[in-house]
Amino acid sequence: MKAIEIKDLTFTYPASQTPTLNHLYLEVEQGDFLAIVGNNGCGKSTFCKCLNGLIPHFIDGDFSGEVHVGGLDTRTSDVGTLATQVGYVYQDFENQIVRPTVLDDASYACLNYAMPDYLERGRAALKMVGLSTREKDYIWQLSGGQTHLLALAGAISLRPDILILDEPIAQLDPQHADEVYEILKTLNEKYGKTIIVIEHHTEYIANYCHHVMLMKEGGVAWKLPVDEALRHVDELQESHIFPPQVTQAAKRMQQAGTLAKTAKLPTTILQGMSTFQNCRYQPSFTRPTLKPETEKPVVTFKDMCVCYRSFKGEDRVVLDHLNLTIHKGDKIALVGSNGAGKSTLMKLMVGLVKPTSGTMFLNGQDVTGQRTKQLSPYVSLVYQNPEDMFIKDSIRRDIAYAMQVRQVTDHAKRTDELLSQFSLETLADRDGRLLSGGQMRKASLAIGIALNPPILLLDEPTANLDIATRHDILRTLKAIAATTDTVMIATHDMQLVCEWASRIVVLDDGKVIADGTRDDIFGNPTLLETVGIRPPEIFSMAQALDHQALLYTVEEFTSHFKEVGS
Amino acid sequence: MKWKQKLSENILDKLSIDFLKNQVLKNAYGNTDTLIAKLDPRILIAWYLFFGIVPWFVNDVAFLLTCFLLVMITTWLAHVAGLVMFIFVLGVFSQTGYLLIVSLFFGGNASTILPLLILTLKVTTCSLASITVFSGLDPDRLSNGLMWYGCPERLSFSIAYAYRILPMLMEEFQNVLLSYRLRGNPPDHSGWMGKIRYLIYQVRIIMQAFYPLILNTAKRSRTTVEALEMRGYRYAASNRSVKKMKLSALKVTHLDSVFLALSLLWMVGGSLLMTWI
Amino acid sequence: MNLAQNKAASQSQKLMVFVLSMALYGLATLFTELIPSFQVGIVEFSVEYFLFIPLTLAMLFDPMSVALGAATGELVFSEIMLGQFGGLGELEKFITVTIGVYVAGRMVKDPKNLKMVGLAAITGTALQLMMGTVVDILKVQLAVEDFEAVAGLPASVFVTEGFAFLNDLLFSGILFCLLPTLFLVPKLNGKIEPLLGMRPRSEQTLSGLDLKLVLGCVAGFAAACLAELLATSGTALIEWEADWAGSQTVLWIGIVVASIVAVLIFQIMRRQAGKERA
Repeated sequence: MKAIEIKDLTFTYPASQTPTLNHLYLEVEQGDFLAIVGNNGCGKSTFCKCLNGLIPHFIDGDFSGEVHVGGLDTRTSDVGTLATQVGYVYQDFENQIVRPTVLDDASYACLNYAMPDYLERGRAALKMVGLSTREKDYIWQLSGGQTHLLALAGAISLRPDILILDEPIAQLDPQHADEVYEILKTLNEKYGKTIIVIEHHTEYIANYCHHVMLMKEGGVAWKLPVDEALRHVDELQESHIFPPQVTQAAKRMQQAGTLAKTAKLPTTILQGMSTFQNCRYQPSFTRPTLKPETEKPVVTFKDMCVCYRSFKGEDRVVLDHLNLTIHKGDKIALVGSNGAGKSTLMKLMVGLVKPTSGTMFLNGQDVTGQRTKQLSPYVSLVYQNPEDMFIKDSIRRDIAYAMQVRQVTDHAKRTDELLSQFSLETLADRDGRLLSGGQMRKASLAIGIALNPPILLLDEPTANLDIATRHDILRTLKAIAATTDTVMIATHDMQLVCEWASRIVVLDDGKVIADGTRDDIFGNPTLLETVGIRPPEIFSMAQALDHQALLYTVEEFTSHFKEVGS
Repeated sequence: MKWKQKLSENILDKLSIDFLKNQVLKNAYGNTDTLIAKLDPRILIAWYLFFGIVPWFVNDVAFLLTCFLLVMITTWLAHVAGLVMFIFVLGVFSQTGYLLIVSLFFGGNASTILPLLILTLKVTTCSLASITVFSGLDPDRLSNGLMWYGCPERLSFSIAYAYRILPMLMEEFQNVLLSYRLRGNPPDHSGWMGKIRYLIYQVRIIMQAFYPLILNTAKRSRTTVEALEMRGYRYAASNRSVKKMKLSALKVTHLDSVFLALSLLWMVGGSLLMTWI
Repeated sequence: MNLAQNKAASQSQKLMVFVLSMALYGLATLFTELIPSFQVGIVEFSVEYFLFIPLTLAMLFDPMSVALGAATGELVFSEIMLGQFGGLGELEKFITVTIGVYVAGRMVKDPKNLKMVGLAAITGTALQLMMGTVVDILKVQLAVEDFEAVAGLPASVFVTEGFAFLNDLLFSGILFCLLPTLFLVPKLNGKIEPLLGMRPRSEQTLSGLDLKLVLGCVAGFAAACLAELLATSGTALIEWEADWAGSQTVLWIGIVVASIVAVLIFQIMRRQAGKERA
């Protein structure tokens, strides 16, 4: 018996003219680990909701075709019966958790379906995802990664054979992302679950999944074994999916003639080792170095301490005697694990957090404890969740707001300029939060630089975005860098760090533990190990081939490695 | 006048949303290890029913005073957050305190005072009893207790869900307000008029902040309701055995009997002593 | 597709609206509970009424779900969570808020018609306030013994309550209910419905006010009064019978009866617990 069989599935939402799913056929074997890829709006999430019966039982629309899940016909089985076959974890998983404590939420579904052993089932599910020690905790005491695992536990407590996860790692830092995929792997291998993920991180697909299905315009373009699928580089890129960096590099080298055309495209570093085995590193001597610190400092922190009041247990020290000087023209990437103090440092700079002790200088003046109003003309902060930046009903008004209330002359003109700079003209009168992830992010950047601040702070500007949109944002950031003096970005996205930053500051436990160029940071394996930073895949590939090769982008890799004899 | 203004400013400025969030969360989750929290919710609710209703039927000052002292002790035992106590005091003042002043103004005399004092004692006792029970109990135990007494399932779901989303809502609201602080241009708040203008500005911002909040919450609630459907919420609502399973977790222990016995002893002893004095 | 499916879908929409209204109005009342009012002269400015939130939602979605959600939200967030639960008396607020919001929501057939939105908003608010005022007056009248005999009290109660009503309606009502609703409804209309997967309200989706509705509201209000009076005016009920209420004996009887009731409940619980364990 197949885990999933779909015949001629077509679904149209009530308000829409064109079907979201269009004559879709699919078969999935039991025990498969399937990745679904496709560009935004190709119907991935709608498709998954057809599998768990929300469509057609709960969501309005025109439905035709047949969907069999674990032998059940979704049209004749109710959502409750299907839930014991299919577990589903949303992309915005925190909203699917409805109980205040951990065990309570994990066992909630079992209790609702009147299973007498609901607590044991909840505990067993928590054990599978490694949350056994947190049973009694409140949800808000969990980190983002743990919350995701709890949502997963809630889904597997009903012991379904099939698990569906919508972008499981979009909001997680690399360490937690690994953790989630390792757990999925165990569930797949040890417990025999069929796992389906919507995923655009192709490096994870290459390392964990068995099959890849490409969706296009509401149908299945193809479903192939993972290695073969990821080698369809051109086709994937057409759908805005970027294959793993090693695959891209090999493809480009083949096109440039520096790698044999017959070589198999690698999808993981391990495969890369054999594909690139005859390639040799050719060092170039014009490597960029950090600018000497002749520029005058714009922001200086001296012995900064910040404590948060907590109502249970000890107060939490977030910044611990932190010292840092930011120079004019710096392009700083602030890296470190969750809770290292990155966001707090940024909030401190705009006066949203008051320091417990220590001093902060802005352009040589002591501004410790000054109000946001006094600091906001000099420092601007764009925070992680763009939805919270939209306070008006159109992005035009949002961009204009800060200028309007300060009676900036010709603010209308400046707003138009910003809209065109970020190519948002056609969306100007739409509400920000109804836009796509990438558009939202661009709009929030436009809002951030509206007042032309000399210092711009960005908190996770590429979180939650697919790779194609991240490239777009990176281009925008480079364009901003030309007009804004000093930019600091807090991020987990090491590709962004490598391609954009001129200086990297590493925070750990509220202290600066490293500060330098990318060579200083990524060339120091012990440091990477202690802080848990994972360099881009292409960097690791180059390192695996030659220890001297410090190469950060696909371009750098292809121009520094050549096959001997070709 | 002046202190009131100062108070308002304090609340909106120094005591910030962050402080409010902290206090509310503390009150909601911070006291699970107290004596009150360990008691059986059904016993506590019954206990509350006594102190929430009986004082209204009795006009004996000695009895009321004894009740009042007892609920004061239990409130202290429940480790209630400071802000909640502050609101309580303010509430009592605005409920009966102002009546006292107004009736004096309209030519009242000492004969007005005694009934109002009794009224105040009644109000205070009932409020403190409710603070003890509703602030002191774990949300889940509370909703189970209410369910045992036959409250609608929707209510107990709402209580548990409210405790779940409160931190998220607060955070979201705080972030929206931060956006106003980062980009807005609040009026200068020096001087008397400036302070009023600042206050009006703040209130306006809080109201406006609900526009983004409504839309953001709408986005969330769609996922929540879909998830509820998958997790059998509707199924459970129409299934009696589920309710039974939920309630079987409740157990009456010796601690409960001791608590009840002590309360009774206190009431009898206290009333006797007070009347005797 | 079929009837059952449509029913599930519409129930889900109602639950969604309920959750939304509960969360938002609950949060708002939490703030109003925390932000004290302040007075300028004799006019009281209180941020008492964030009622614009359920009013707005009721004009866009199913009014009954919104009304119940808002009332539940207030009960759960500001009464239970903060421990400010006033017993049976809270039922009064619950019912008046439900009626006020529901009536306002039902009045609006087309959210684009701003005149109607404004009229409905102020009607809903006035209705809620008026019911509250009536209950308040009855409450004091019955709660204080010898209401008429206390010098100055009746006059003061009528004056303060009447003034409070006008004050609330003219200041809080206009500033915090009417204007924000007029501001929000057109902005949210057509924007928030797709987020919840619904169609915007149109003429067909709603019928107007009818007799049944009016009767329902009257019955609800009567229940509200009764609840409030039961909660606060126990004194009157007993005083009215005889003057034995204040005496020692009765006090003792009261205590004994109460403890017997408590012990009984205790026993029932134990027995039930025993049964379930067995």
